[in-house]
Amino acid sequence: MKHFLFALFALAFAAPALAKVAVGEAAPDFTLTDSNGKSHSLSQYKGKVVVLEWNNPKCPFVGKHYGGGNMQKQQADASAAGVVWLTINSSAAGKQGDVSAAEANAYIAKVDGKQTAYLLDTSGKVGHLYGAKTTPHMFVIDKAGVLRYMGGIDSIKSTDKEDLAKATQYVPQALAELAAGKPVSVPTAEPYGCSVEYAAK
Amino acid sequence: MSAMKFFRRSRGHSRMRLLFTFLLAVLPLLARADDEHVKVTLLCESSALVPGQAAWLGIQLQHEPHWHTYWINPGDSGLATKLAWQLPAGFHADEIDWPTPTRITLGDLQNFGYEGDVLLPVPLHVPADATPGTMAHVAAEVKYLVCREECIPGKASVALDLPVRATAAPCPQQPLFAAARAAQARVVRWPGAAHIRGDRLDVELHAADLPAISDAFVVQRKLVDYAPPRITHDGVECRLSFAKSDYFSAAPAQIDLVLRARANAWRASVPVSSP
Repeated sequence: MKHFLFALFALAFAAPALAKVAVGEAAPDFTLTDSNGKSHSLSQYKGKVVVLEWNNPKCPFVGKHYGGGNMQKQQADASAAGVVWLTINSSAAGKQGDVSAAEANAYIAKVDGKQTAYLLDTSGKVGHLYGAKTTPHMFVIDKAGVLRYMGGIDSIKSTDKEDLAKATQYVPQALAELAAGKPVSVPTAEPYGCSVEYAAK
Repeated sequence: MSAMKFFRRSRGHSRMRLLFTFLLAVLPLLARADDEHVKVTLLCESSALVPGQAAWLGIQLQHEPHWHTYWINPGDSGLATKLAWQLPAGFHADEIDWPTPTRITLGDLQNFGYEGDVLLPVPLHVPADATPGTMAHVAAEVKYLVCREECIPGKASVALDLPVRATAAPCPQQPLFAAARAAQARVVRWPGAAHIRGDRLDVELHAADLPAISDAFVVQRKLVDYAPPRITHDGVECRLSFAKSDYFSAAPAQIDLVLRARANAWRASVPVSSP
């Protein structure tokens, strides 16, 4: 009984609050397995620009960007320029958007995703590490491993595909500026979307 | 005799006529769009529009249990309900007079919104040269995000046809407007200021009889983190200490807050003091 209570006590304090990462600071390292069983660490991509994209296949905001082709185009353009694009799913087991590896691959095939890898973060550890609040929520990390952009995917908070053409797309903008050796003009923008479906506390 | 008894006692054709008449009578007063998880209806406070006066309209949202829509500042996620009006020439609608929201916490994520039934009142300004005897078609497209665990975006088109008259009687739903008015957070002018201190934004309020504030919501986005502020209170001064938002860029001239204490709420604005 004592052991059980201790475990319960430990569990109550185990779940971390959402961490704070900051533009201009080193992006925290992590290791996750992708939908093909392959392991990826942020540190293995030092020397390359990395984009992190928080995803939930069932979220209508994610649907706006995938349905309108916006996300796939950004992924393809980034990959063509040598950028590593990691899509991360932090939905807890049983929560909306939680996918198995096979389901993740089916989703990528269905939407014709062009990310480098789709990482499964069911424990929510990496989501909490980055303070990911919404889907989508975007982070751009430069070749030295420094966070250069964090926040919303674009400037118009809506679920309407019609807004895609009118909005400023922050990730391609940041990537272009980094490639040109310029400062990132918009280093943060408010993220918008559905809540990341972490396990209930 | 109850309506149901009366209805049951009617015969065939007359029952249909009764139903038809009832619907005809009721339809102009209802402008409802049924959608999943929240029912959206356009309500009137007055049955007519008086030239040169403001008439209150209301978007009524009736949520299924456990579902919610969002306040003007939805918090960490979500989307505020948005209205796009189609009004006759010369008419204009002001912004929603947002009722006090409820804090909706899911783990570390904070949202501000509404569950159950809520009325979003909107003042409609009727031009002074509106012609009595004419009909005004007042329409709105209501865009909302209704969420439980998952979120579903919705759009409802609602409309009312109201006559322009010199005087107006109340609409049947007038009590809902009176209730919303009575429940609305009172605007107060407590002296105070907001200070940015490192990674915190502190709001200090002074009043001889300050109530015991237990929570506060900031209207402006990109200012504060949405977790409940740390509150210290000594009866005359109340300090609300918020963590700054990760997306804080610049302090505005003034911060608008909704302050809660148990069942009461107040709306206050404080200037932001430069350090």
